[in-house]
Amino acid sequence: MTDEQTLKASLKEIGDLKAALDEHAIVAITDPQGRITYVNDKFCAISKYAREELIGQDHRIINSGHHPKEFIRDLWRTIGRGGVWKGEIKNRAKDGSFYWVDTTIVPFLNEQGKPRQYVAIRADITARKLAEEGLRTSTKEVLDLKAALDEHAIVAITDARGKITYVNDKFCAISKYTRAELLGQDHRIINSAFHPKEFFRDLWTTIAHGRVWKGEIKNRAKDGSFYWVDTTIVPFLNEQGKPRQYVAIRADITARKQAEEAVHRMNAELERRVVERTAQLESANRELEAFSYSVSHDLRAPLRAVDGFSQAVIEDFGPQLPEEGRRLLQTIRHSAQRMGALIDDLLSFSRLNRQELSKRSVNTNALVRAVLQELGAPWPDRQVQVRVAELPPNLGDPALLKQVWINLLANALKYTRKRDTALIEIGCESRPEGPVYFVRDNGTGFDMKYAGKLFGVFQRLHRMEDYEGTGVGLATVQRIIHRHGGRIWAEAAVDGGATFFFTLEKEATNHA
Amino acid sequence: MPDGQIINLLLVEDNPQDLMLAQRALRKAGLDHRTHVARDGVEALDFVFCNGPFAGRNVAAELRVILLDLKLPKIDGLEVLRRIKEDARTRIIPVVVLTSSREQRDVAEAYRLGINSYIVKPVNYELYAEAVRDLGLYWLRLNQPPKVEE
Repeated sequence: MTDEQTLKASLKEIGDLKAALDEHAIVAITDPQGRITYVNDKFCAISKYAREELIGQDHRIINSGHHPKEFIRDLWRTIGRGGVWKGEIKNRAKDGSFYWVDTTIVPFLNEQGKPRQYVAIRADITARKLAEEGLRTSTKEVLDLKAALDEHAIVAITDARGKITYVNDKFCAISKYTRAELLGQDHRIINSAFHPKEFFRDLWTTIAHGRVWKGEIKNRAKDGSFYWVDTTIVPFLNEQGKPRQYVAIRADITARKQAEEAVHRMNAELERRVVERTAQLESANRELEAFSYSVSHDLRAPLRAVDGFSQAVIEDFGPQLPEEGRRLLQTIRHSAQRMGALIDDLLSFSRLNRQELSKRSVNTNALVRAVLQELGAPWPDRQVQVRVAELPPNLGDPALLKQVWINLLANALKYTRKRDTALIEIGCESRPEGPVYFVRDNGTGFDMKYAGKLFGVFQRLHRMEDYEGTGVGLATVQRIIHRHGGRIWAEAAVDGGATFFFTLEKEATNHA
Repeated sequence: MPDGQIINLLLVEDNPQDLMLAQRALRKAGLDHRTHVARDGVEALDFVFCNGPFAGRNVAAELRVILLDLKLPKIDGLEVLRRIKEDARTRIIPVVVLTSSREQRDVAEAYRLGINSYIVKPVNYELYAEAVRDLGLYWLRLNQPPKVEE
């Protein structure tokens, strides 16, 4: 092969190499002063400058301002001495966007050993740099999150077998163990023995299947004290879908649990006391019942004897007795019978307290009509005017409310007995506290200074020979009204009639 | 009790005064000679079941009614009632409770055990005498007893 042929072959080879290089790399050539003398297409493409805009310029045209002066100075010193420089440079394209190039600058020297020109070969590493930057940013974010989490929560990580591989400061603080004591252990080190085996079996079954477990756990610290943690355990899986590690995040809920336990204890104590009081009350009630039972049996028998034998004397020896003797025996009988009536009234009064209320809606209009019938309306042998207004229904025990109306209306009839015309008015006033029922009469009334005695058991404001009675009626009425959550009071004047007012439990008022 | 005398009414009463008053009322009604008195629960059961002093008597024969007080010594009235009503031989004998108690639980329990009537003894003697007389006349004269299977 001739020299010329050899030269041609070499040139061809160089041309091929250059073509290949241009395909692959960003290439520029500058003169010793740094002025651009050549750029390939890739250089134009990445810098977004046209070749004409680049030729004759130096590289400051694409300077991004990212690198410090020393960086550039170091570059020039290296290549000025004829050394090859390699590095990563951030450049600025014509449109202001940035790109990164992995750069190799090779100086070519003249005969004097001075750089004749520099050939810079670059590779676009923008994508890699962005990824690196992204990674740095996300790593930073993750670290920030971790710092925040560590501030807030008790964190531990265990491996797939449950061995502790990481604990944060808060974990150490609450468990009172050092990190060294915890790492490599499993969670049995803080087991309080409070939870049954099934509790932890369920926990492990859940997380071993890759599911999140949430719950409240009572743990035992190194010093033997207990603490409660609200716990979330998140399993992280490997490529095979098997748990690789578990991250447990906990919050200290000891204070809340203690408060709950205190409430629980107080409730239990309260319940115990209620049971105790109920038992006491039941026992008192039983005693009262035994007492009434005995009264009802044993007190009546001698009275029957007093009455019976007085009558026997009258029957058998009446003719031999003077008139006064027979009269005295009748007085004895009358007293025995009156005491019998007192005992009966007292017993039914005491029964009022033991009897359960069975509340229903009560049609007051119908109830009052029935009671008036029962009391003998329209009283053909007397002049009685009864005015009944519209009465709202209410909620109550019908049998007991009937007793209220019977007593009040019987009283009204009794104490108007001496009037030529008895006037009895039954009505209802609407007041803020609800309906107020009333019974008004024009009877003998009473002195208001004795109003306080009106509802006492065996209290009477009239003499027996004027108006008969045992003094239990109004006491019974008041007891029934009170048991219904209501109130009773009276307004009266001597010889000026009386009005009895009563309310019933408020909630009953809107019940139709 | 003389031999062979027919007893139609058993009066179970422990209180001597109540007993005297009841007997007085029965006497006035002409029913006293057909009456036997038991003073406590044990005596009442002995008579009804022909035990002890009454071993010769025929169970359930001729007894048309038992007037039973509830508060009795030894065995109380409700227990006497329960034993009478448990036994097939005596279950058919009408029992009337005659007591001072108007306690609802006594009334309810007595009816549950199968009494025929429940009378509260009035304090007023005339009413008491009337009650005893009416009961005697009703159960001994008016009421048709079942035929006793021996």
